[in-house]
Amino acid sequence: MTEAIAIKDLSRYYNNFLALDNLSLKVKRNEDVALLGPNGAGKTTALKILCGLLRPSSGTAYINGINVIEERERAISNVGAILETPEFYQFLTPEETLSYLGGLRGMRERGLKSRIKDVLKLVRLDKWEKVKIEKFSRGMKQRLAFAQALLHDPPILILDEPSLGLDPRGMMEIREILKEERKEKTVFFASHLLTEVAQVCKKVAIIDHGKLRVYDDIAHLKKKYRSFERAYLKLTEAEI
Amino acid sequence: MSEFEKLKIVTKYELLKQFRRKRFYGVLAITIIALVLTIGLYKGLDLPGKMQQTIIDQRLENIRRQLPENMSEEMRENILAQAREYFLEELEQAGIRDSPEFFAVWVTSMGTLAILGAVFFGGDAIASEFEHKTGYILFPNPVKRITLVVGKYLACFIATAVILIISYLISAGALLGFYRQVPVGILGSLAIALMLACCVISIAFAFSSVLKGGMGATIATLLTFMMISPIISVGLSYAGYDPWFMPDRGADAIAATYGVSFEAFGGMYGGGAMMGGMMRASQDPTLSFLVLLAYAVILFQVSIWMAKRREML
Repeated sequence: MTEAIAIKDLSRYYNNFLALDNLSLKVKRNEDVALLGPNGAGKTTALKILCGLLRPSSGTAYINGINVIEERERAISNVGAILETPEFYQFLTPEETLSYLGGLRGMRERGLKSRIKDVLKLVRLDKWEKVKIEKFSRGMKQRLAFAQALLHDPPILILDEPSLGLDPRGMMEIREILKEERKEKTVFFASHLLTEVAQVCKKVAIIDHGKLRVYDDIAHLKKKYRSFERAYLKLTEAEI
Repeated sequence: MSEFEKLKIVTKYELLKQFRRKRFYGVLAITIIALVLTIGLYKGLDLPGKMQQTIIDQRLENIRRQLPENMSEEMRENILAQAREYFLEELEQAGIRDSPEFFAVWVTSMGTLAILGAVFFGGDAIASEFEHKTGYILFPNPVKRITLVVGKYLACFIATAVILIISYLISAGALLGFYRQVPVGILGSLAIALMLACCVISIAFAFSSVLKGGMGATIATLLTFMMISPIISVGLSYAGYDPWFMPDRGADAIAATYGVSFEAFGGMYGGGAMMGGMMRASQDPTLSFLVLLAYAVILFQVSIWMAKRREML
């Protein structure tokens, strides 16, 4: 079976700084995997390459067996993504923004309208459907980012710090949605919140200085290192 | 779904963005105010009559200085009177008189203030996706970067064209009101103005695809078109070269489709060869149209190439 996500010997330099160092990783279909690591570990760089926003210095990446570097548009048609802290066009409403993005993803107008209503309800923005985004808080924009990632019901979700900027209630709600979505989707998400990772995913890939330190079940890591926190600190070369 | 269908979607929403921005209405308001003021100035101050007077007075003064001092007053007056009649006829023939064509030169030239829209709309079209991080939402979609750039370009062009066409409609309305006719040259003028808009949007896109910020790209476009290009043109004119290939010279052709000869202005501000050279450069609307087209196509290609290579760092 083809993996949902396959990263092969991926390296990326920013001038002389090596952000990713021969990273290789495979995520099976319907698996939920967290990419965990300290700031500057290379998490966002890896996700950006997967979404075709960056080119690797060497190596390659596949989504559902399609080479992202060579066939970017075809590969990412299977993906819903949130990267960094996305901003939206201030002069548009959530409804217009989602219509725009849905259109680009090939969704037809009739189905699109009802799907927009559904995803906005899911992220509790249904009452803000026709309000210009310039009035939105950071947390509301993050909810909208989540809505656009789910809009076309993609089989793969690639999420970079999906709960960033949300209040505790918002974080909880997003995690609940993620738990629900992971039943039918592949979820690959970067985070530095150990509790969030432990709640949402079964597997974790810990990276540091661009290198993969471990890729294993969280339960196994807990057993081996006595706790998930210890495992993280040990593997990222920090001391308790 | 074809890329053409995606292009229509990109253009539609980019256009919606442009129409929702205050700068669209700002440029529209500035253009309309400038047009109304120009019409008022032209009619209120009898601009063609005053211009004839100024040009003739300056030329007669030049002749007066060259006449021998021992010439009788009667002969002097006779020569100057004949010269006045000659200059007046020359100016009339050149089109420097109150006519629909001369009026159209003034009002449609002022209407091209709408080109400011091209600078402001195009300046941040690409750069803002990176600067304001909206690219994180737009780029991870199954759509080619070229489709996004072309869609944005079309939206900028349509927004600018709307303002331009409104300004030309006002000009045509004023022409009908004052002269009961609209010179056919107004269509050529509009065509060159639209091509100028394409050229300016291409310059703005080229900067926008390279520079980090939209403001920087907007300022760079303004400086290129309104300072650097005219300075080079003047320098070339002084050196005896015809700067027909400069974009600002091409822009001058907007007023050259009415059959009014600008060489008659040659003596107006004490200008000699330079002024004459500059004005001659704007006399071929077809050449100017092609020059602007070349700039538009080449710089748009550059902006597509740069935008395709640019990464969301």
